[in-house]
Amino acid sequence: MIEYDSEEQRMVLKFVYYGPALSGKTTNLLRLHDLLAKEGRGDLMVLDTKDDRTIFFDLLPFFLVAPGGLKIKVKVYTVPGQVQHDATRKAVLQRADGVAFIADSRRSEAKNNAESFGNLERNLSFVGIDIDKLPLVIQYNKRDLASIVPEEEVRRVWGPTGFPVVLSSALEGWGVVETFRTLAERVYDAMNSRHDFAGRHGLTRESFAERLVRRTG
Amino acid sequence: MPTDSEGRKRIVYCLGEERALRDVLPESEAAALVAAASRAGLRGVRVVDPGGKALWGNGDDVPPPGDGDPQRPILLEGEPAGRVVLPAGAAHGETQDALLALLAETLTAMAHNNLKRMLTTETHTEVVNLSYEELLGANRSLSASEQKYRELAETLEIKVRERTEELSHAMARLVQQEKMASVGQLAAGVAHEINNPLAFVTSNLQTLKKYTERFLDIIARYQRVFEQGGVAQQDRDDLRKHRETLRVDAISADVVDLLRQTLEGTERVRKIVADLKGFSHIDEEGEAPADMNREIDRTLSVMTHEIPEGAAIVREFSPLPVIQCRPGAFNQLFLGLLRNAFQARSEGLRLTIRTGVSGDRIRIAFADNGPGVPADIRTRIFDPFFTTRDVGKGKGLGLTVAYDIVTAHGGTIDVEDTPGGGATFVLQMPVRRGNHDQIRRPVPER
Repeated sequence: MIEYDSEEQRMVLKFVYYGPALSGKTTNLLRLHDLLAKEGRGDLMVLDTKDDRTIFFDLLPFFLVAPGGLKIKVKVYTVPGQVQHDATRKAVLQRADGVAFIADSRRSEAKNNAESFGNLERNLSFVGIDIDKLPLVIQYNKRDLASIVPEEEVRRVWGPTGFPVVLSSALEGWGVVETFRTLAERVYDAMNSRHDFAGRHGLTRESFAERLVRRTG
Repeated sequence: MPTDSEGRKRIVYCLGEERALRDVLPESEAAALVAAASRAGLRGVRVVDPGGKALWGNGDDVPPPGDGDPQRPILLEGEPAGRVVLPAGAAHGETQDALLALLAETLTAMAHNNLKRMLTTETHTEVVNLSYEELLGANRSLSASEQKYRELAETLEIKVRERTEELSHAMARLVQQEKMASVGQLAAGVAHEINNPLAFVTSNLQTLKKYTERFLDIIARYQRVFEQGGVAQQDRDDLRKHRETLRVDAISADVVDLLRQTLEGTERVRKIVADLKGFSHIDEEGEAPADMNREIDRTLSVMTHEIPEGAAIVREFSPLPVIQCRPGAFNQLFLGLLRNAFQARSEGLRLTIRTGVSGDRIRIAFADNGPGVPADIRTRIFDPFFTTRDVGKGKGLGLTVAYDIVTAHGGTIDVEDTPGGGATFVLQMPVRRGNHDQIRRPVPER
């Protein structure tokens, strides 16, 4: 989003969780909400759903203040995965600063993953975002299930793209924070090169990520 | 508003723009709640924004809040978006603390719920707008492609019209060529016919030239003898001998025959020329009254050389009323039909030409005993370029020419079987035509 207001010392960043229908995007946010400390984040906002399916989006906001006083709000959105909600996906994807692509690890879902990624590429182009410059993380979710694509295959397919790949089970709660942290670090790198987070605001990559993924308890 | 590459205004869809507390908490709800809290024991309580500016609460009779005053944050998306503050000097205790926390929590929850509602509405609106925009785009591209197809269809129509025109010109040219070729073939035959008498007339004239030289020779000798004044016996013998040498008696007998034959030859040529003139109606322009029987005879007379040897031409003519037509065209038509018949069978051809009147129409039938026209091609034989002959042997326009001539005169042409085998071409011409331009399709006779 890079809504940067230098006078008010405010910046809003937008992370988007993309992926095919039922791949676990909302579950990722639910787990983040449960696993991360209440301090510095808002409540998970789940917009109207129908039969437990996202039709608009979910929103989990984070808020932190850099040592230099820059207030940073990170808004993590999910998109609806179902094909018919493409207009909503475009609206949510607009001005995204980072994207986590949540793929379904089951073999049977390979085609849906590919179609959804194709849809992501098209929509990024539609909203004027260059996929080569966008911080992007791939998450292979549902690793707790049987008949899933083996890890070697996932690495072999995605290795050449250079996108980091995280294996996870959002249901069991692992890989979720790692995905979020990886995405946060990549977004930080992109922001730092443009806004000099470290120099001007005293915000290191480490502290930015740490502030976002502070665990409960 | 940004524009796209084609200069159209383009809506930017971006959800979740940043909002201040005042944006998500309506005056009516927040002010009422703060007033109620004030009455419930938080006297003088107020809501201030992050900068300390009072938003709600009756702050007139109390001093502005200080840092030491009891306060609680109101969170919006996890960020402190304001505070509830109890002014210094106000009644302060455990109850007030609990109430203050309750008020802050309530306002945070209200802000959260309002924001959620606003985001829902916003998403809905923007998705509708986006869908509308996409529909407009789809409509534009559909309109564009419709326009393209419409243009294509229009130019296609023009192209088809141009090609059709070209084709009909080419067709007209070919029909004209066919007519010329048909007459050309006739001319070749006629030339041959004229050549025959011309050859023997020439030969006779050569002979007559030699004969005349001898006549002149003998006459000169007689003259000389008479001018010398006497007819002595020797002179008489000389003259007799000379006459015998010149075979004057024999050639004198031959001269009459030669002259008669020669005159016959020139008469034949004259008749051929007259027939041709009659056939072509070269002196007549446009329409003229014509007797079809006579025209058929004329055509036959110029075609004698084309009639196969041993063929029987049977004329079963009934007297016909004279009709107004272009006789030259009809002779061309008869020429074509007769030639078809002559070519139908090389040996033992029998062609019956029957004319008569049936109602208000003249009926002319050319019945041959050739191979006939198979039923399955009967509807096509008058079509342009339809031919049963080998490639290069026929253009398939002969009967098309016939068809055009007959229909131009308001008549019909049809083909039937000749009883016993063969083809019969039947022409029917109105005795009187209502409209000269009238063209009718031939009606098959049953």
